[in-house]
Amino acid sequence: MSSTAIIRRLRIDKFRGLKAFDWLPREGMNVILGGGDMGKTTVLDALAMLLSPTNGATVTETDYWQRETETDFVVEATVSLPVEAGIEDQRRMAYPWNWNGEEAVQPAGKDGEEVEPEKPVYVIRVRGTTDLEPSWEVVQPDGSTEHLSVSVRRQIGLVRLSSDERNDRDLRLVYGSALDRLVADNGLRARIGKQMAKVSLANELLEESRIALEKLNEKMGDNRLPTGLSLGMTSGQGPSIGSLIGLLALHEGKEIPLSSWGAGTRRMAALEVAAATAKHASLTTIDEIERGLEPYRLRKLLRILEETAGQVFLTTHSAVAIECVGKKGHLWYLDGKGRIGYLPSSKIAQQQRRDPETFLAKLAVVGEGKTEVGFLSFLLGKAFAGDPLDDGIRICDGQGNDAVLDLLETMAGANLECAGLVDDEGRSPARWAKLKSKMNGLLLQWPQAATEGAVIAAIPDAKLEDLIRNDEDGLTGSRLRTLADRLGIDARDLESIKAALAVQKKSFKALIIEAATGSSVGAPVGGEGKAWKRHGQHWFKRDGGGEELAAKMISLDAWASLKAPVMTLVNAVLAAMGRPPIVDLPA
Amino acid sequence: MKDEDVAKLLRSEEPLVVIEAPGGCGKTFQGSSYARDVVSTLPRGRVLVVAHTHAACGEFRKRTRDVGSKVEIKTVASLATEMVSVYHKALGLPPDAESWAWKNNGAGFNEVAERCAELVTRSPMIGAALARRYPVVICDEHQDCSAEQHAMLMAVHRGGAKTRIFADPMQRIFRRRTAKETKTDAQRWDKLKADGIHAELETPHRWLTGGSAELGKWILEARESLKKGEPVVVPAKRPAGLSIVIGDNSAQSRTGFSLNSTQRKIVDGVMFAGDQMLVLTGSNELVDSLTAYTNRRIGVWEGHTRDYLVTLVEALQAASGNAEAIGGALVTFVGGVGAGFSMSSHGKRLLQEINDGCCKPTKGKPACIQAMAKLILAEPNHVGAARALQLLEGYIAGGQAGFDDIKIDYRSEFGDAIRLGAFATPEDGLSGLARRRSHFPRPLPARTISTIHKAKGLECPNVMVIPCDKAFADTEYSRCRLYVALSRASHTLTLVVPSSDGSPLLSFE
Repeated sequence: MSSTAIIRRLRIDKFRGLKAFDWLPREGMNVILGGGDMGKTTVLDALAMLLSPTNGATVTETDYWQRETETDFVVEATVSLPVEAGIEDQRRMAYPWNWNGEEAVQPAGKDGEEVEPEKPVYVIRVRGTTDLEPSWEVVQPDGSTEHLSVSVRRQIGLVRLSSDERNDRDLRLVYGSALDRLVADNGLRARIGKQMAKVSLANELLEESRIALEKLNEKMGDNRLPTGLSLGMTSGQGPSIGSLIGLLALHEGKEIPLSSWGAGTRRMAALEVAAATAKHASLTTIDEIERGLEPYRLRKLLRILEETAGQVFLTTHSAVAIECVGKKGHLWYLDGKGRIGYLPSSKIAQQQRRDPETFLAKLAVVGEGKTEVGFLSFLLGKAFAGDPLDDGIRICDGQGNDAVLDLLETMAGANLECAGLVDDEGRSPARWAKLKSKMNGLLLQWPQAATEGAVIAAIPDAKLEDLIRNDEDGLTGSRLRTLADRLGIDARDLESIKAALAVQKKSFKALIIEAATGSSVGAPVGGEGKAWKRHGQHWFKRDGGGEELAAKMISLDAWASLKAPVMTLVNAVLAAMGRPPIVDLPA
Repeated sequence: MKDEDVAKLLRSEEPLVVIEAPGGCGKTFQGSSYARDVVSTLPRGRVLVVAHTHAACGEFRKRTRDVGSKVEIKTVASLATEMVSVYHKALGLPPDAESWAWKNNGAGFNEVAERCAELVTRSPMIGAALARRYPVVICDEHQDCSAEQHAMLMAVHRGGAKTRIFADPMQRIFRRRTAKETKTDAQRWDKLKADGIHAELETPHRWLTGGSAELGKWILEARESLKKGEPVVVPAKRPAGLSIVIGDNSAQSRTGFSLNSTQRKIVDGVMFAGDQMLVLTGSNELVDSLTAYTNRRIGVWEGHTRDYLVTLVEALQAASGNAEAIGGALVTFVGGVGAGFSMSSHGKRLLQEINDGCCKPTKGKPACIQAMAKLILAEPNHVGAARALQLLEGYIAGGQAGFDDIKIDYRSEFGDAIRLGAFATPEDGLSGLARRRSHFPRPLPARTISTIHKAKGLECPNVMVIPCDKAFADTEYSRCRLYVALSRASHTLTLVVPSSDGSPLLSFE
């Protein structure tokens, strides 16, 4: 048995917008991303219904997939439970299944094989029946079901912070709330109720009211109705005693309900109450964790949550939150079709740290480096006739060929919409090929070249000097310097360079490409190699460099030969955003 | 060990306590009062009481009724069936384990137990889960558990349940065992005693509260002798309540019982004396003989088993659709549960009518038989058989000519066969009726004849064991049978022994 409740597998069938959702969450903190109204909140709501601490949860027809109330919806979880959950102690015995890592299975078979250590799990679910009633069940290994009692659901426990409520449920003494579990006193509500019933309200009456009551009393007596009237607490429908009792805190000397504080404080307080519960941690769901919290408080909260013993489910739209999910947390992406994909930190940690918004875009276009980022900005700016950011496109720097491969593989695998522009550095050809076929036009890898190389190669020789010249940024001189250094000459004027080229039998274009890419091939030993690598920064490996390269690609007549592959990428991006393709870049 | 010390031991924190419980020494009292006391100390979970028979379960239920749902009482067989049912997929069995078990004539229950034991041994999480529901487990009549049932209960114990076992190795009569089985059973008992804390109840309560204390003491001494493999000594000066009577069975037929007039006078004098008498004998055949010997003045105690019914159900299943085979099964059944209805008296005609299609016009007894045959032909299955039996019951009750010599000794069993017709299948009927029986256990009639097996767990102020002859051989099994028979009596015990060539287990001074 585990020390806390852990959901191993969550299946949601035909519940609201989720037709067939099947997820294997991890232990610890699970953060769900996914643009717009794509079911992140639905996943949390499904969990909340499954572990509802009351039997009064209402089911409406909108809870059914496409409002088809003739088919049941099912929220089913395979869970490891702590002893305290008491699932074996219901009226009928609930028997455990074995967990094989992917699903609940029967315990060990009959053959004389080696038996691996078992992981007992239980299968619990809530069904929305065709009568619009929720039915909570435990599924036995033979498929039969028993009722899943409300007390077991409470003992498993769910602390729920949703985005639209006041979020003070756990700060009040409602049945099954975090405060209720903290106080752990079943008789408290009854005792308080008794005390309240004793309060004498008659003393509070003004003279006039007292007289009015007495007159009423007389009239009642005349009409043979009950007499001896007085005022006092009566029970009735509506809020229970528990819901009226909650935590108070001092504010400027006065005791004020904790639920009067701001949203962020309320949330953090509720989580503290949950964390303080003596025996065992419950499950926690938090919708939009960033709500009401400044970045510094959000960071703190995430660190606290990562240390929580219990399993946590969050949704977020916050880049800060994504950035803070450390090694112990798990990032997931939920797409529009109800598929949820894993974003392992080993593959995306760098990007997560440096540019977390990558994972919040509608479409992340990943360039291998600064050149590609600028290049893409130019192209997409033209194609979208405006700032692509407005449409939800984010152009990101993937910081290196290998890093981008990891990143794009992971994102594409998790069904995150992404595109990429990368060099061919000769590594991992099989993986790149596989990725290209999966991304289908959204990935452009220059064949056997870097971006600089591919573009410059297409520029006619006559225009090379124009390529070099960049007087607005004052880079012409330093560019010539890089060329001269590579030729080993001091003079950095064009004639000297061309003369040296002739002597060394090297092509002007090749030299420029080497300089622009910062190639260190052929560098003299001892320190020069490092300097050579930095040459690219004078060319296009700088802010604005990619834009310059792209603009010159068009103005210096390289466009004709590069148009095909580039427009494929551009049109793929347009199509992903639901826009019609274009034949050529607008001027 | 004294009662207070046993009580203390039960309530201690020892994980395994094994109480050796001779009959009548207050084991059910100890067990049930422990169950009631321990319930209030449990922070969660409940007490599980497992016994071997429904009768023992009923006793526990009676004594723990006020503690309600916190004490669950089951037979070992039903616990195994429940587990096998829930895990039937893991075991490759059909979903309805109980009906399946009955199908193979109750031997299916053994296989159920085997698979269950295998399952819980390979899969410790099941025992652990059960131990969480049942942090305390009390096993009654544990001596009757098979090795597999024992393994199942030990798996729950290993899962963390505090276990209290009550057993009397001298009352192991549930199963005829080979010499090898006897040896392994003995080894298992010794290991169990060694693994836990062992103590023996010694206070003969049954005889102290209004019985004969001397008799009780003698019975406990007899138990010790039988345990050691020595014969039971019957002293010249008999303990108060014990009497020895000579009786030589002079019947010619193998299945009869009769005594010469002198011996008969004495034996009858004892049999019909007083308010209550339990006559015990070694086999079903002897029971039938004895009830005939008394001209049915003393009836048969049917107990919980339904051997003839089980045979009938087996035959009905196999013969469904085959009217003749059904007729044959019916004849065998009635012959077993009563007398006066045999192949020669009624059976041959019944089968003939079935064969001929009931077309010959007849009157009187053959006509009645024809009516029965018609019912079987109309529905050649358990329903038709049940209807035919119901018709037969009418004839017997109404004193119909040709049926007035028929005596039904096993009335309950006969009635159950008629009730079979209401179920969808005969196996459903067997299990359904067994379930009903277990919920409504009947008390012993004032005067009755029973096999020793069916009398286990019961008691009567006056008991007669007849005949106490060489059928009680010097085997483990017979020693246990003899002890069970002796220990049923609280006030008087009469042993009817042959004048010569008697049981080697008795030694007369």
